[in-house]
Amino acid sequence: MSSAATIEKDVQRLPEEQGKKLFGTAATIAALGLAGSAAAFFVDKQRFAHSWLVGFYFLTTIGLGALFFVLIQHLTRAGWSVAPRRHMEWVSGVLPFCALLFVPVAALAHDLYHHWMSAEAMKDPILKGKSGYLNVPFFYGRSVLYFVIWAGIAFWFAKQSADQDAAKKGDTRAFTGRMQGAAAPAILLFALSLTFAAFDWIMSLDPHWFSTIFGVYIFAGSVTSSLAVLAIININLQKQGLLKRVSTIEHRHDIGKLLFGFIVFWAYIGFSQFFLIWYANIPEETIFFKRRLVGEWQYVSYGLLLGHFVLPFLMLLSRHTKRSVTVLRAAAVIMLVMHYIDIYWLVMPSLDVNGAHFTWVDLVCLLGPVGVGMVVVAKRMQSSNLYPINDPRLPEAVKLQNL
Amino acid sequence: MSVVVRDETAIELQKDEIGRAPLILGDKQTFSTVTDTVAGMTEKKPPKAWPLLLGLAFSVLMILGASLTRLVGWGTGTWGLNHPVGWAWDITGFVFWIGIGHAGTLISAILFLFRQKWRTSINRAAEAMTIFAVMAAGVYPAFHVGRVWLLYWVFPVPNQMQVWPNFKSPLLWDVFAVSTYMTVSILFWYVGLVPDLATLRDRATTKTKQMVLGIFALGWRGSHRHWLNYEKAYLILAGLSTPLVLSVHTIVSFDFAVSVIPGWHTTIFPPYFVAGAVFSGFAMVMTLMIIVRKVYNLQHIVTIRHLENMNKIMLATGSMVGYAYAMEFFIAWYSGNPYEKFTFINRAFGPYSWAYWTMVSCNVISPQFFWFKKIRTSIPIMFVLTIFINIGMWFERFVIIVTSLHRDFVPSSWGYFRPTIIDISTFVGTFGLFFFMFLLFIRFLPAIAIGEVKGVMPAADPHAHDDHGPEGDGHDAHGSDDKHDKHDDGDAEAAHG
Amino acid sequence: MADKRKKWEDEPEEKVSAGGDDVVAAADAHAELEAEAKKPEPKAEAAPEPKKTKAIKPAAIVAWFQTPADLYKACEALRDAGYKHFDAHTPFPVHGLEVAMGLRPSILGWIVLGGGFTGIVSAFGMQYWMSAVDYPLNISGKPLASWPAWVPIGFELTVLLSAFACFFGMWALNGLPKFFDPVMQHTSFDRASNDRFFISIEAKDAKFGKGRAMLEKLGANDIEEVLP
Repeated sequence: MSSAATIEKDVQRLPEEQGKKLFGTAATIAALGLAGSAAAFFVDKQRFAHSWLVGFYFLTTIGLGALFFVLIQHLTRAGWSVAPRRHMEWVSGVLPFCALLFVPVAALAHDLYHHWMSAEAMKDPILKGKSGYLNVPFFYGRSVLYFVIWAGIAFWFAKQSADQDAAKKGDTRAFTGRMQGAAAPAILLFALSLTFAAFDWIMSLDPHWFSTIFGVYIFAGSVTSSLAVLAIININLQKQGLLKRVSTIEHRHDIGKLLFGFIVFWAYIGFSQFFLIWYANIPEETIFFKRRLVGEWQYVSYGLLLGHFVLPFLMLLSRHTKRSVTVLRAAAVIMLVMHYIDIYWLVMPSLDVNGAHFTWVDLVCLLGPVGVGMVVVAKRMQSSNLYPINDPRLPEAVKLQNL
Repeated sequence: MSVVVRDETAIELQKDEIGRAPLILGDKQTFSTVTDTVAGMTEKKPPKAWPLLLGLAFSVLMILGASLTRLVGWGTGTWGLNHPVGWAWDITGFVFWIGIGHAGTLISAILFLFRQKWRTSINRAAEAMTIFAVMAAGVYPAFHVGRVWLLYWVFPVPNQMQVWPNFKSPLLWDVFAVSTYMTVSILFWYVGLVPDLATLRDRATTKTKQMVLGIFALGWRGSHRHWLNYEKAYLILAGLSTPLVLSVHTIVSFDFAVSVIPGWHTTIFPPYFVAGAVFSGFAMVMTLMIIVRKVYNLQHIVTIRHLENMNKIMLATGSMVGYAYAMEFFIAWYSGNPYEKFTFINRAFGPYSWAYWTMVSCNVISPQFFWFKKIRTSIPIMFVLTIFINIGMWFERFVIIVTSLHRDFVPSSWGYFRPTIIDISTFVGTFGLFFFMFLLFIRFLPAIAIGEVKGVMPAADPHAHDDHGPEGDGHDAHGSDDKHDKHDDGDAEAAHG
Repeated sequence: MADKRKKWEDEPEEKVSAGGDDVVAAADAHAELEAEAKKPEPKAEAAPEPKKTKAIKPAAIVAWFQTPADLYKACEALRDAGYKHFDAHTPFPVHGLEVAMGLRPSILGWIVLGGGFTGIVSAFGMQYWMSAVDYPLNISGKPLASWPAWVPIGFELTVLLSAFACFFGMWALNGLPKFFDPVMQHTSFDRASNDRFFISIEAKDAKFGKGRAMLEKLGANDIEEVLP
C-alpha cells in the first residue's frame, strides 16, 4: 500500500451525483423491463410465466447468496470482510421485493405447475401420493413462509448493522455480538427454506423428478452469482476512488478466491448430480438429463459446463488474475450470464420441450426483475454508509494482507 | 514436565477486544519456550503412560495380525459376509477410517486457506492422524481381495491375464483416490515437518540422532529464499489437498451411489459423505487432542479456544449431516418410489432400527449440545460427546451399507447380518494399528508444528513496535497487540474524519 | 523447574543490555534444557571477534538479530544499500521479508501447472486407450468412450502429478537436499531454527567488503566470517 493511500480517508457516503446516476440507470432498466414484461404477459401468457419465473428466481438466488454471505461472515467472526459484508447487506435487501416479484408466479402458478396442479394430476398414482406436499394451498403457504423468513433475516441484519453505524462508540460491540449470536439459528432457517423453495418452484416443474442434492445445487449457484455481484460492486467502488482502506486489492483478492472456490463447488455439485443419475440410469431420474442432452438443449448444457466452470476456472486460477480488475470483472460478468443460463436451463425445458429458443419475452422478463433489484441496491447505497463505520473488526479489515 | 502447569479450570479465556481468545496462553511464552516444549516431547523421557499405552496398542495390533492371518488362510468367508449382505463391517470400517482421515486434511489444508491461524497447534497431529487413518482404512480393501499378494492387479499394470482394469468401476476410482490421498497427505506432512526436523537436528544430543534427523531435514537452514518457495509449495499443496479431500469421500460415496440400490442411490451422497467425514474426523481429533494435551501438559498451546472452535465445526458439520438425513427421508417419500420408501421405513423401524436410532442420537442430537458455550468449553462433557460422535459415525456407515442390503427387492432374499468374531477382531485390530502409529509419532516427531506456532505469536510480527519485547511474554505481547489494535483503530477513526 | 522459570522472567531485562550478557542468559537456559550436553557458553562468552581468515577467503559473513523486526529493518537496509547476495535465516517464515529483501515471487506455480496438465492429459489418454482401444470393455451398455466415468481418475491423477511437481519442484528450486552450507558454521547457528534471526552476506556480493561495517551499524550480534 502506498503511504498516500494510507493517509487518504475513505469516503463514508456515496456522492450524491453518482447515486443519482446509478439510480437513473436502474430505474430506466426497471421501467423498460416491467413495461416489456407487461406486454409479454398479453402476448404470450404461457411463455411469460416461465420467463418471469427465470428472471424472478435469478434475482432471488442472488439475494439469497448475499444473505448467506452476511450470515456466514458473522458466524465465522470474519475480520477481513467488514466492507464486503455491508455491500452484501445491500444486495440481500432485494429479498423483500422478491416477494412482490413473486406475485406473477403465484398468479400464473397453474400455467407453470399444471403437471401437478391440474385436475388430471390426481389420476396419476405417483402424483396422488405426493399430494400431501404438492397441493395448492400448502404451496402458497410455504411460499409466503419463505419470504417471511428471508425478508425477516435480511431486514434484521441490515437494521442491526445500520444501527451500529449510528451507535455511540462504546455500544458498538453489542451489535456485533447480537448479530454473531443470531447468525447460527438464522443459517439453519436459511438452509431449509432455500432447499424447499428450490423444490417447490423449480423441481416441481417436473413433479415426477427428484434429486436430494437439488437444494445444494441451487445454493451453489446462488452463492456464486452473488459473489460475482459483490466483485462488481467492489471493483466499481474502488474504481471511483471511494474505498481505499477498508476495501482494497486485498479484499478483492479474497472475493476472487471465494468466487473461484464456489465456481468449483458449483461444478462439483452439478457433476455429482449429473454423474450419479447418468451412471445409475434409472428412467424416472434420467429423463431430466435426457431432455437436456438432446437437440438444442445439449448445446446449452455443454455451454454451462464450459462457461460456468471451465472458462472461469482457468480465468481465476492464478493469483494475478484474481487481483486484476479486468479479469475479475470479466469473470464476474460471465458468471452472472451463466447463472441466468443455469436457471433458464432448469426452467425452460419444461416449456420448450423440443429445443431451446431465446425470445424477446425472455429478455424483458430478465430486465424487469434485474432492474428492480438494481433500483433497490442503488437506493440502499444512497441511504447507508459505504462500510460499517463502527464495526469493531474494522482495524483488522484495514490490515488485511494476502500471502 | 512442561513449562506451564496449570489447572484446566483456571484457564480463563483471555479475550481480545472482539471476542477472540489469544492463540498461545501463558505468562512467559517465547520462541525458545515453544521450541523447548514441543521438542521436549521427543527429547525427554516420555510420560509413564506412554510405554503402557504403546504396549497396549501393540497387543491390539497383534489382534489385527492374527485376524488377517486367519482371513488370508481361510478366505473372506471368515467375515460374516453372505447373501444378501455381501458388504458389511469391512466396508464400514474402510469408510469409517477414511472419514477420520479427512479431518486432518481439513485442518491442515482448508483451515489454512481460510487463514484460521488457530489451526497451527493442532495441524501436525491431525495430519499424522490422516496418514494413520488411511493406513487403517487401506487394510480393508487390500485384504478383502482375499489373495492379498495379487493386490497389484488393481493398478493398470500389465499382468498375466493381459487385461486392463475396468475404468468404469467405482472401486477402481477408489484405488486411485485413496492412493493419491495417501501420497499427497504424506508429501504435505513431510513438507511441514522439514523445518521442525531441522530444529530437532540443531538440538540433537547424540551423533546418531543428529545424522538421522539431519538426513530427513534435507539440510534445511531456514533461508528466506527457501521459505519463499516453501510457503508457495505449502499453499499449493493446501490448494490441491482441499479438492482432493472432497474427491476422496465423494468417490467413496460413488461406491454406493452409482448403483441402483434404494438407500444407496441418491444424489446428495457426495457432499453428505464429505460432511460426515469431516464430522467424524473432528470427533477423533478432539478425542486424541484432549488426551494428548493433558498427558503432555500442552494446555497453553492447545487452548480451550482451539477445542471450542473444533466443537463449533462439529456442530456445523453435524447439522449438515442432519440436513442430509432429512433430505434423504423427505425425498424417499417425495419420490413416490415404493422401494425407496420401503428402504427408509425399514431403516427406521425395521430389524436394524436400533442401529438407526443409535446413529441419529449420536450424530444429530449429541452435537446439538454444542450450541451452549458452557458445554463447548467443558472438557469432560466434550470428551464424552466426541466419543458418542465417533460411535455414531461408525453406525452411520453400518446403517447405510447393511440396512440397504439386508432386504433385497425380493422377500426371498431377505436376511440379517451378524458379525463373526473375526469381523469384530479385525475392526478392533485397526485401532491397534492406528494408535500404535500415533504413539510412535508423538514420541519421535514434533507433534506440534513448532515453526508455525511461532509464526502466529505476537512477537513474530516484523512490524511490531520497537518497545515490544521480542522475547516478550505472551501476556504482555498480547497487551501490546491490543494497543496496536487500538492504535490502528485510532488511525481508522482519523481516516473516517 | 522454578528457577528455570525465573530465568526467563529475568531475560527481558537483560536483553536491554545488548550483546554478550543476553547471550549468556539465553544460552544458559538453553543448555540447561539439553542437560548440558552441548557447550555453547564458552563460544558465546568469547567476545565476538573476527575469526582467523588469513589463509582462505571467507565464504560469507554471518550475524544475528534478536527480533524479526530488527531483521526486517536490516534486510531493508541491505537491499537499499544495493546488496544482492544476502540471505536471512529464520526459525519461521517472517511475514513480508521477501519484500524487505527485494526477492522476486516464486515460480513454483508454473511448475505445478505443468504437472497438473501432464496428469489430466495422461489420465484421460490412458483410460481412453485402455478401455476403448486396447481392451474394449462393455460396461452396463455405456459407450466405450464415456468421458464422465473417467472424470474421477482424471481428477486424481491431475492432483497427484501436480503434488509431485510441487514437492520435487520446491526442493529443486531450493537446491536441497544440501547437507552443508558455510553459514552453518556460525557459532550459534543452531539457534536459527529456534529463536534467533540470522543474516548472511555471501562473499560473491560486490559490496561484501563493506559488509561487516554495515552489519555493525545495523546492530547485529556475533558478526563472524565463515569459511567455505
